[in-house]
Amino acid sequence: MRPPAPKNSAYGQQEPRPGNLLFFLAPHRAAKLSLGCPLLDRLLSGGLPAASVTEIAGESAAGKTQICLQLALLAPLSPHPSSSLFLCSDVPFPLRRLRLLAPKSRPDLLDHVLVAAVHSPSDLLSLLSRAQYHLSHPSHSPHRLPTRVILLDSIASLFRADFDASPADLKRRSGLFFKISAKLKELAHRHQCVVVVTNQVVDVVEGNTGNTVAWSSGRQVSPALGLAWANCVNTRLFVTREVDSNGGSARRHMKVAFAPHLPVRTCEFVIRRDGVFGVEPAQRTPWPWTAGLPPNRTDDDDDRICHVAVCFHGTLENGVSSS
Amino acid sequence: MNHTDEEAYAALRGCDMAPNKTAQKLLLQGAQNAWDMLSEEQSQKHITTGSGSLNDILGGGIHCKEVTEIGGVPGVGKTQLGIQLAINVQIPVDYGGLGGKAVYIDTEGSFMVERVYQIAEGCISDIMEYFPCHHDKASSGQENLQPESFLAGIYYFRICSYTEQIAVINYLEKFLGEHKDVRIVIIDSVTFHFRQDFEDLALRTRVLSGLSLKLMKLSKAYNLAVVLLNQVTTKFTEGSFQLTLALGDSWSHSCTNRLILYWKGNERCAYLDKSPSLPVASTPYAVTSKGVRDAGSSSCKRVRVM
Repeated sequence: MRPPAPKNSAYGQQEPRPGNLLFFLAPHRAAKLSLGCPLLDRLLSGGLPAASVTEIAGESAAGKTQICLQLALLAPLSPHPSSSLFLCSDVPFPLRRLRLLAPKSRPDLLDHVLVAAVHSPSDLLSLLSRAQYHLSHPSHSPHRLPTRVILLDSIASLFRADFDASPADLKRRSGLFFKISAKLKELAHRHQCVVVVTNQVVDVVEGNTGNTVAWSSGRQVSPALGLAWANCVNTRLFVTREVDSNGGSARRHMKVAFAPHLPVRTCEFVIRRDGVFGVEPAQRTPWPWTAGLPPNRTDDDDDRICHVAVCFHGTLENGVSSS
Repeated sequence: MNHTDEEAYAALRGCDMAPNKTAQKLLLQGAQNAWDMLSEEQSQKHITTGSGSLNDILGGGIHCKEVTEIGGVPGVGKTQLGIQLAINVQIPVDYGGLGGKAVYIDTEGSFMVERVYQIAEGCISDIMEYFPCHHDKASSGQENLQPESFLAGIYYFRICSYTEQIAVINYLEKFLGEHKDVRIVIIDSVTFHFRQDFEDLALRTRVLSGLSLKLMKLSKAYNLAVVLLNQVTTKFTEGSFQLTLALGDSWSHSCTNRLILYWKGNERCAYLDKSPSLPVASTPYAVTSKGVRDAGSSSCKRVRVM
């Protein structure tokens, strides 16, 4: 018996051809999706890479969905304007928050966020097949931007039901991980999409399992779905939050847990009414580009928080460069 | 092979060749005494990993004509090492390298060109540091040492399914015949597409051992190194979960050397798990902004500060 050939294989009967890396280099650098804040972009050296799957793992209320919503709104404003496909498994979709995040002057941004609910792994796979068709047959309507951003929030909730801890189920589950990941990566590669998948966390009970470990809210946690899923993503970002013992506001951090192109490093961030923004570490001097701008302070923010409105509208075209 | 002599003669006759002569010639060409093999092996250059201590446990670096498997948990540096080897194989002969080219088969999409560029720059700056006077003299060779030319020396295949993976490996024979300067083939990772719902595990084993045989043959025929990156999985044995390389026990026979990368606290370590000629050993290494280097070197600290 021969394994069934996957459909839509781009190679067909032709010989495979190696890609020229020099050809990749220039567009590759431009193809990153900004997070809308120079500090977070600096953490990711420019933003989230295209043709790659990025995971954002973190406990509930760490800010995962906020980041996704912000990315969905930034996609039409990026140098390659695009719409985003928001696959939502944590019902309900936070529509009110999305409307709140969208700048008043640009209500049209919401037109470019395509939302679909997914309820199960098989649901997701069939949806991704439909998305593949949608991506390879873009509509020529001027009001419809090409889809270049796929957000899945979250992968873990798809697997919460229907699976036991029995060996057979674990095997079936990890088979599905690889299938979903292969599909996401194929879409990402063929259509130069930015793919973001959020993940929940589980408490670390056993010792070393080989998976990423971080401290969040005083607990030691690992991203959910185990080592098998960790093999399925290219870049893993960990968002954590710590609440002070005296009941102060939460301090949030975004950490690059692993990435093929980034060193392990961390950036503090805050979630405000108007979005997610990085915070400069206190010991460093403020960044030059915040100096010339009028201070935009709210009660609980300090002036090291970068200027929001500018990130959202102004600097996107210029693309704040980072080392 | 259960062919009788008659069958072999018939086969040779079928090729329209004089049986006796050809058979003899083939035998004579194929046979080599161990002394020749040893001296050939000693004269062979190895592909440096970028880290001296890692080279030491590997007996000088990654060996040509051999298949080396590198496994480890996500984020430990498998892809970094793969990219580093694809760059290091291109170090010109004048600077002690092989001056070859690389084939990189990417199944996971972790090959980031900006990182390759960075590692190429790191490699060039190290060459300049080690050969300062050499560089002054050979100003004509200077134009050769550009990150762009290192990038152009990597033949990159991005594949999205296991059928494509099988097709590319089958095609490699023809490709390597046309590109004789390729000295390393890297598959990152050999595992990914074979961990999807393969119901027929016996079939998976057959396909994989077919692939590894083919790669082993290619590595001998074209005198090149084959590096297979593998993932790690948890295996339930004797009441506890243990980390082991993916693809099962039968796969573990298909590589000549096996290097396992793991975390020891906050330090990356490499463990030579299997080698026909070298003792089992382990050593720390580091992944810096310039690429894979020795642990504790100054460039390593620079990254930590960031």
